[in-house]
Amino acid sequence: MRSVGFSTTPNLVLRLPMWRSRLMLFMLFFVFMLLLIRAFWIQGPGNAFYEAKGVRGTQRELELPASRGKILDRNGQVIATSLEAKSVIAYNDTVPDDLSAEKIRKLANLLKISEAELHKKLKEDRKQIFLKRQVDPDVAQQIKQLEIPGIGLNNEYRRFYPEGEAMAHVVGFTSVEDRGQEGMELSREKELAGHPGARRVVVDRLGRVVEDVAILQLPQNGKDLQLSIDSKIQFLAYNAVKNAVEEHRATAGGAVVLDTQTGEILALANYPSYNPNDRKKLNGEQLRNRVLTDTFEPGSTIKPFTVAIALEKGAVAPNTNMLIGAKYLVGPKPITDTHPYSNLTVAQIIQKSSNIGTAKIAMNNLSTEEMWNFYTSVGLGQAPKIGFPGAVAGTVHPYKKWMPTDQARIAFGYGISASLFQIARAYTIFARDGELVPLTIERSPVFKPGTHVISAKTAIEMRNMMESVTEPGGTAIKAQAEGYRVGGKTGTAHKLVGKGYGNKYRAYFAGLAPISAPRIVVAVMIDEPTGGSHYGGDVAAPVFSTIVSETLRTLNVAPDININQGELKDKNSIGTQTASAKIQPVVLKR
Amino acid sequence: MNRATLTLLALLLVCALSLVAAQQSARKLFTSLERAQIEERKLNQEWLRLEYEQRNLSKSARIRDVARNQLHMVPITPERTLYLKEAR
Repeated sequence: MRSVGFSTTPNLVLRLPMWRSRLMLFMLFFVFMLLLIRAFWIQGPGNAFYEAKGVRGTQRELELPASRGKILDRNGQVIATSLEAKSVIAYNDTVPDDLSAEKIRKLANLLKISEAELHKKLKEDRKQIFLKRQVDPDVAQQIKQLEIPGIGLNNEYRRFYPEGEAMAHVVGFTSVEDRGQEGMELSREKELAGHPGARRVVVDRLGRVVEDVAILQLPQNGKDLQLSIDSKIQFLAYNAVKNAVEEHRATAGGAVVLDTQTGEILALANYPSYNPNDRKKLNGEQLRNRVLTDTFEPGSTIKPFTVAIALEKGAVAPNTNMLIGAKYLVGPKPITDTHPYSNLTVAQIIQKSSNIGTAKIAMNNLSTEEMWNFYTSVGLGQAPKIGFPGAVAGTVHPYKKWMPTDQARIAFGYGISASLFQIARAYTIFARDGELVPLTIERSPVFKPGTHVISAKTAIEMRNMMESVTEPGGTAIKAQAEGYRVGGKTGTAHKLVGKGYGNKYRAYFAGLAPISAPRIVVAVMIDEPTGGSHYGGDVAAPVFSTIVSETLRTLNVAPDININQGELKDKNSIGTQTASAKIQPVVLKR
Repeated sequence: MNRATLTLLALLLVCALSLVAAQQSARKLFTSLERAQIEERKLNQEWLRLEYEQRNLSKSARIRDVARNQLHMVPITPERTLYLKEAR
């Protein structure tokens, strides 16, 4: 018998309808299905999004730094190099407002800015701000030790130029962003610039790299660039120019030294200059690479070319005697000489730098076309192709426009313009027996064939005439160099001021050495000398002399005059043997 | 569970543990590689810095100064030079 508890009564049993439990079951099933679908979605088609999120949490992309290439001189000496530096960044949201005055003072001191300025920068309404760029590594270390929240350090490179002023115009400099701004830094930017790479890594909770995932891009360091410049020769040329500019109270000066055998530019000096390591107070005057970017009327330095055309044609010979006189009338203004001569040979016209003589040679023997062709064939009127920013072409007007008065004046260097660099290059034809040598500013110490412009015979005759310029009776005795036979041509050009010729001059000397086997061509320009003489023979020639003798000695070229010749009898006893020639006593100067 | 299953289980455990160990040593090696690379970069930078310093000390201006003022040297000139020719 079923017993029934006293507290239950069948009447009170609630009989639930079947559909309710079914519904419940179905709903549970439905929700589980939803979950399943969701799970399927996350695992399958919608996975990429979550994977990306996961990667973002554990992986980072890091930059692989690349450095800018070095610039070296011909002997492998560094003339521009990149060293690591830090930039100091403030994340202004993170920097606490109640930063202690002590810390601010210390930071300002390290950054070498005033506290007020630092305050201003920190208050600025920007997410992040550079407090200072290119800070020395040890200063950066001290800043790090201050442990100011929100002050961070970034890796950067800073460019250093050990040669300073002497090399400034050749190498140029870079911006804070490490991009070339001037000189070779600018013109060879493509090769010098480094391209940073990137890699993906796995990091742990603390941001430490624990695993490499992939290298996204290999870093590419910039290529090193080796120039043809010799920093010793550059330095001595720069100093010679600098001293002359100061001595003659001139406004500027420049010099080029070329190797005639290889066409390499050994030195390219400009004054005034600047220190590329510290470019705070730069002005345009200092930045100008006068040797390449300033054109001027070359004056008498052009005379050897005019005479060379006539010699080449066979119209005159070095000993042809010519009537000169005190004046030569072509056009409205007569041509005159500094000293009047009645008669001169062609060689003497060069030696004494006679305007009348040169003009007469041109007017009597040469057509305007011949002259134009010749000047153009030695590179005048065309920008030199040495890959230097801003190298100018100068002007040689079309010969059809030349009036007789133009022709006569162009013959001695007025009415055309050229840069000092172009003049130096043109002079290589005399050094190389008639060949115009292709020039380069990159090291390439091999003999370079040139283009024949005049015959070897003419070139040798011109060399002899140019040597006589530096001998007694010539215009530039001061160009003589110790130990070496030299030859060259002075130039003193009136400067064009406004529309006419004022009282300002440029003094030049262009020449070659040693005469017995020319190795270098040197051209010197001193702008607006004011102390005493303004003649090329007095102002520029001594600079030429200094540069030539020191350069040839640096290059180990044997002297061709005035040497104490001894004989080396036993190679193994250098230093112990007594020489057969007398050496003059050495006097030490203090 | 029979014996085969147990052996396989044990093997699986050993494999799993060795995987962990391998992973660990890979991480360790990676960290030291990373450290070595950073060190390499530092040394490279140091070398560049020293090269620059050496260059600074050997630049023409300084050599001239030291030679003239400290060592009281004078430039060679042909008058004070004996040029030797090799005897034949």
